[in-house]
Amino acid sequence: MKLMIDERRCKGCNLCTTVCPYKIFQEGRKLNERGIIIPILDRPERCTNCRLRHLYGRQLCGACQMICPDQAIYWVEEDPYSEESVVIEF
Amino acid sequence: MTTRVFEKWYREDRLPHIFCTGCGNGTVMNCAIKAVDTMQWEIDDTVFISGIGCSSRAPGYISTDSLHTTHGRALTFATGVKMANPDLNVVVFTGDGDLSAIGGNHFIHACRRNIDMTVICMNNMIYGMTGGQGSPCTPAGKISTTTPYGATEPTFDLAGLAVAAGANHVARWTSYHTKELTKAIETGLSTEGLSFIEAMVQCPTAYGRRNKLRNAIDMVEWMRTHSILLQKARRLEAEGKPIPEDHFTVGEFVNRHRPAMGVKR
Repeated sequence: MKLMIDERRCKGCNLCTTVCPYKIFQEGRKLNERGIIIPILDRPERCTNCRLRHLYGRQLCGACQMICPDQAIYWVEEDPYSEESVVIEF
Repeated sequence: MTTRVFEKWYREDRLPHIFCTGCGNGTVMNCAIKAVDTMQWEIDDTVFISGIGCSSRAPGYISTDSLHTTHGRALTFATGVKMANPDLNVVVFTGDGDLSAIGGNHFIHACRRNIDMTVICMNNMIYGMTGGQGSPCTPAGKISTTTPYGATEPTFDLAGLAVAAGANHVARWTSYHTKELTKAIETGLSTEGLSFIEAMVQCPTAYGRRNKLRNAIDMVEWMRTHSILLQKARRLEAEGKPIPEDHFTVGEFVNRHRPAMGVKR
């Protein structure tokens, strides 16, 4: 699993920086195209839910997702060894 | 596969919502929807009802049937829905101005009748939508646009009022305590009779800006440090010590089985 922040929803309140036990969410510095400073992810592979969700088969921790008032935090399935197909254009 | 929060329950086309940056209403919405989701209620059997105010915009973002009613009359409409069709699961979102100020009478009588529904009050201690006027829940000494020298009146203890008026389950948590709030709402949904959950939420825009809590983080931190568990408050009371100033109690106030009205057949 991979931790993601939805840039279309996040309003930059930085509440996620206070609740994460690993301090994965850090206050960002750059404005995005909507003029909002979105938190940056510091080594998101440490996230408990990312590592152990498949082992336990249920949602783990999830404090950031619950406290996010804008429903912007989510996880995506990632396949680390997927073969990249190269399209050659002539 | 993506794991968004309860994709089924949110109206994706209406998001992002209009709440200000750092508003706690979204957090309470998350907790309420998680509780409803764990109860395994169907979308078609659930109705969310709200009055007027910031918090009352919440049902507009939820994909169930919803009623956005007149100011303070959310509970009356909810009573009508429940009486007309007791098979529906009724959840009411209100704010403190909506429930305690203009709808106070309806609230008392809904508690007295003990109608089978869940009332979630998002108490942000101010009228946020109309520009920060003082509400019955503004703490003493705090500044709002109608109390520029600090509020002088005592606050309204909504949870205490619900206990006295006869609600079956009463709890109070803050938007920082998401796990406990979810548990409390879940207990409330499964209890027969009126269950009242007061969720203290941060309002950095209207309340915090005037009271030196400009950030959402500062205000959540204020709620975390100024909340006392009910058991501890009772212990202090038994020892004859006063509860520290500006503190409010959190926890489950009551969970009883008075005869309820409009229970599912």
